[in-house]
Amino acid sequence: MKKLLNDPAKFVDEMLDGLCAAHPEFYRRAAPGARVIVRADAPVAGKVAIVSGGGSGHLPIFTGYVGPGLLDGCAIGEVFSSPSVEQIADAMRAANGGAGVLRLYGNYGGDCMNFDMAGEMLEMEDIPSTTVLLTDDVASAKPEERQKRRGVAGMVYAYKIAGAKADTGADLTEVTRVAQKVADACRSVGAALTPCTVPLAGKPTFQIADDEMEMGMGIHGEPGVWRGKLRTADQVAAEMMDKLLADQPLARGDRVSILVNSLGATPPEELYILYRHAAARLKDVGAEIVMPLVGRYATSMEMAGVSFTICKLDGELEGLLKAPAACAFWRV
Amino acid sequence: MALTTSILKTAWTRVAAQMDACKDELNALDGAVGDGDLGITMSRGAREVVEQLDALPDDLGMAFMKTAQAFTKTSGSTFGTLIATGLMAAAKATKGRTEAPWSEMPALLTGALDAMKARGKAELGDKTVLDALAAARDAIQGKDDPAGQLAAAAAAVDATLAAFRDKPNKVGRARIFAEKTVGLDDPGMVAFRRVVDGLTK
Repeated sequence: MKKLLNDPAKFVDEMLDGLCAAHPEFYRRAAPGARVIVRADAPVAGKVAIVSGGGSGHLPIFTGYVGPGLLDGCAIGEVFSSPSVEQIADAMRAANGGAGVLRLYGNYGGDCMNFDMAGEMLEMEDIPSTTVLLTDDVASAKPEERQKRRGVAGMVYAYKIAGAKADTGADLTEVTRVAQKVADACRSVGAALTPCTVPLAGKPTFQIADDEMEMGMGIHGEPGVWRGKLRTADQVAAEMMDKLLADQPLARGDRVSILVNSLGATPPEELYILYRHAAARLKDVGAEIVMPLVGRYATSMEMAGVSFTICKLDGELEGLLKAPAACAFWRV
Repeated sequence: MALTTSILKTAWTRVAAQMDACKDELNALDGAVGDGDLGITMSRGAREVVEQLDALPDDLGMAFMKTAQAFTKTSGSTFGTLIATGLMAAAKATKGRTEAPWSEMPALLTGALDAMKARGKAELGDKTVLDALAAARDAIQGKDDPAGQLAAAAAAVDATLAAFRDKPNKVGRARIFAEKTVGLDDPGMVAFRRVVDGLTK
């Protein structure tokens, strides 16, 4: 393992120490030493709070997106491991401004169980909460089993759009409706070139030959659709666009945002080579691109690879996507 | 005699000691199909509960609730959350009472089982701890002494382990390695068997 760290067991806590020290205007620990990050000004009285969370190792997901117009709080687990029920409950308590809490996170078994249980605990404290799950990874289950799909980079759009809705002063029911709408409008697919190493495990999450790639792989190394020789950027982009457009067909005049995301090690240069092809393809089908995002938005530490996310917009979603928001990693 | 907070305290002290003793065994079993932390989850969770024992109220429901919260404090492990889910079901069923008769144990186990099924989205037959719990619940029907209940539960869990050994796991992370799990004991079932061991001492 070749990583700049002090002690694998302190990886998460020292990362959070640095994050809060660098950006105190955005991030604050809910309690000293807690793996719970809330907005610097949390709780925002009268506003629906949006809480997310999951394992570490995906920055800016999840914690990075805490900020005005985005998330109110986050519970952070060990690398690639769910936060505990107690941490999630603490994040919800600290974020709650009296208008209830939306739990907005990715569909992973452990996270679902822990967020559900935290919600049940908060119910006993009379803090109402709702759930919206991201299930945007088209490679993780067939369309007829959409609810089983994993949540990946679509979360970025969900945070942004639901966060903007909450900023309008909308109530929990309305914020939940919009969050579900954006979750339903997102489709993602990824491809990995190299694995990453979980510090506490000390070895790569999977083995892959130097000249190979895996299409459809999950962000924790979950098996993908195929593994084979590395292909060109255009071939990879074409296949990823095929998968996204097959799952959510677009018609002439449709408006979409597209996120071309690095899984960590893939540099912006390669992302722009991929984006070039993806944008041409969207133009071919007659779709209009709104606010494209190219960069590192949802990662798996040092994994090399890319994911594409298409978020299909209507007037409501587009307006909310463009509303102001800020965190240390992204400003709109 | 009936289940009281005082008996709950004794039970957790014994379970925590037993979980420390079998930590490596459970880690190894889990490591074959999962991330190998089941022993740590169980021993840390139980120890956290033991830390809270002095503060447990006489209200049995509130006591169960405290143990559920304590158990999930140390890790985000799904197994820990499942256990806490079962404890929370018991908390709701016994809220406002200072004791529950031993004859109520099958009903409490049924409540825990239903809540755990819902939370884990698992069914009986998937080769999980739920199968062991269901077998134990069936075996203690009609018995109202704790020693008899524990003996019956131990035998039933042993039989369940044997019955599922050559079947694949159908749920959870182990499902991805389903074929590899044929011939292996389910780590969660073994953990429950060790809890019964701990209670029997």
